[in-house]
Amino acid sequence: MKKIWLLSVLLLTGLFTSLSTAEIVAATVVADGPKVQIEQTVNAILAVLRCDVGDEVEQRQRISTMIRKKFDFKVMSQGALGRNWKVISADEREKFITLFSSLLEETYLGRIRAYTDQEVSYGEESIRKGRAVVETFIHNGGVEIPITYKLILQGQDWMVYDVVIEKVSLIRNYRSSYKNILRSKGMTHLLEQMSVKIEELRQREASEEAAA
Amino acid sequence: MKSSLVCVFLLLCLVTPVVSAEMLDGAQELAQSGFVDESYDDLYDDLYADDEAAEIYDPLEGLNRGTFWFNDKCYFYLVKPLARGFRVVPTPVRKGLAKMFDNLNSPIRAINCLLQGQFCQFGKETTRLVVNSTLGVVGFFDAADHFWQIKKKDEDFGQTLGYYGVGEGFYVVIPLLGASNIRDGLALVPDSYADPIPWLVDSKIALALTAGKVVNRVSLDKDTYESIVAEQLDPYLFTRDAYVQNRRAKVID
Repeated sequence: MKKIWLLSVLLLTGLFTSLSTAEIVAATVVADGPKVQIEQTVNAILAVLRCDVGDEVEQRQRISTMIRKKFDFKVMSQGALGRNWKVISADEREKFITLFSSLLEETYLGRIRAYTDQEVSYGEESIRKGRAVVETFIHNGGVEIPITYKLILQGQDWMVYDVVIEKVSLIRNYRSSYKNILRSKGMTHLLEQMSVKIEELRQREASEEAAA
Repeated sequence: MKSSLVCVFLLLCLVTPVVSAEMLDGAQELAQSGFVDESYDDLYDDLYADDEAAEIYDPLEGLNRGTFWFNDKCYFYLVKPLARGFRVVPTPVRKGLAKMFDNLNSPIRAINCLLQGQFCQFGKETTRLVVNSTLGVVGFFDAADHFWQIKKKDEDFGQTLGYYGVGEGFYVVIPLLGASNIRDGLALVPDSYADPIPWLVDSKIALALTAGKVVNRVSLDKDTYESIVAEQLDPYLFTRDAYVQNRRAKVID
């Protein structure tokens, strides 16, 4: 009896110590802060854009992977639809996330590509309750274009859920536009228009590549 | 009338840089501590906001869309080709020109800072005007920012009115000028009196200079409007919301 008792105590303490060491390990391997993470992603994207590799398709693919790793497209999709998110079916949600991800990727890439040659500096970061705001500035010939990233902590990763350019939140902007389209034309029409737009953008890109 | 105004203005210019230098540090600290609360909306608000407060009143949408179409054509067939041609001028020169025009806008910013009781920023704007007009070679270089990090802040009479609680009225698209609202559109009139160009040269040259300013700016722009048109499902709605968001944020700060 005494042996069993001792054994169980030993086991329990062993369990606790292993748990607490695991906790300590987890605490020491804290991921980078939001500013560092944004800096890494933006710099990596700019580096890929700047280095003139022959294969444009591959370059595009690499950037796409980086954006998808750092942008929380599900949260962004919810933000873009606002209250309408709750009204639509699960199937429509899935479709919307897929289409909206592609559209946003194109938009963000288009903007960042325009400023490839410009210097980017990183400003303040502020963190509160699992969310963060990181300020960045693009220096375009004496004019500073402020781009603020809003992030949400998912596990160890700070994921972008909104990009604010010159005080204009992209997500709010999409929400406002889409609300108007939904009000007059409905969800099916919106999804249709989105896929048409993506097709247009892809064709434009293809023709640009052919021209280059 | 003109000369007395200029005298008062110059006097104020001389007094304020001294005051502002002392106030500068305090204001920066304040701005930093205020950062957290101002830019931090609740995620719930961000995602599921009713947006009733963000609702845009646009009763003249039909007419506005017409004007938007007209401005779009003017941009693509008139301004953009001119701007493209103007790109033969080396970029540093065009950037300098943009700064020169911007320097001439300092009085508008300064006066509106003063009207809103932002004395520190008023000091900064006047310092910028004095420094950049002299050391910056009639505004060609932004010496104030380069040497002393004295940054400008966009203020205009529309924001001043907003600061005192004047509502936006409703959204309007002004021919050639683009997105605006009743308040900000009308506020362009008093602001134009603080623009030094019409005081310095006759009206025809002033008009030509304004056109030159626009062409120069577009020549430096990275096809912002083109990408909006290409990427957005409805460029009119996108532009409208962007304008309103930007103006509302500027009125608050």
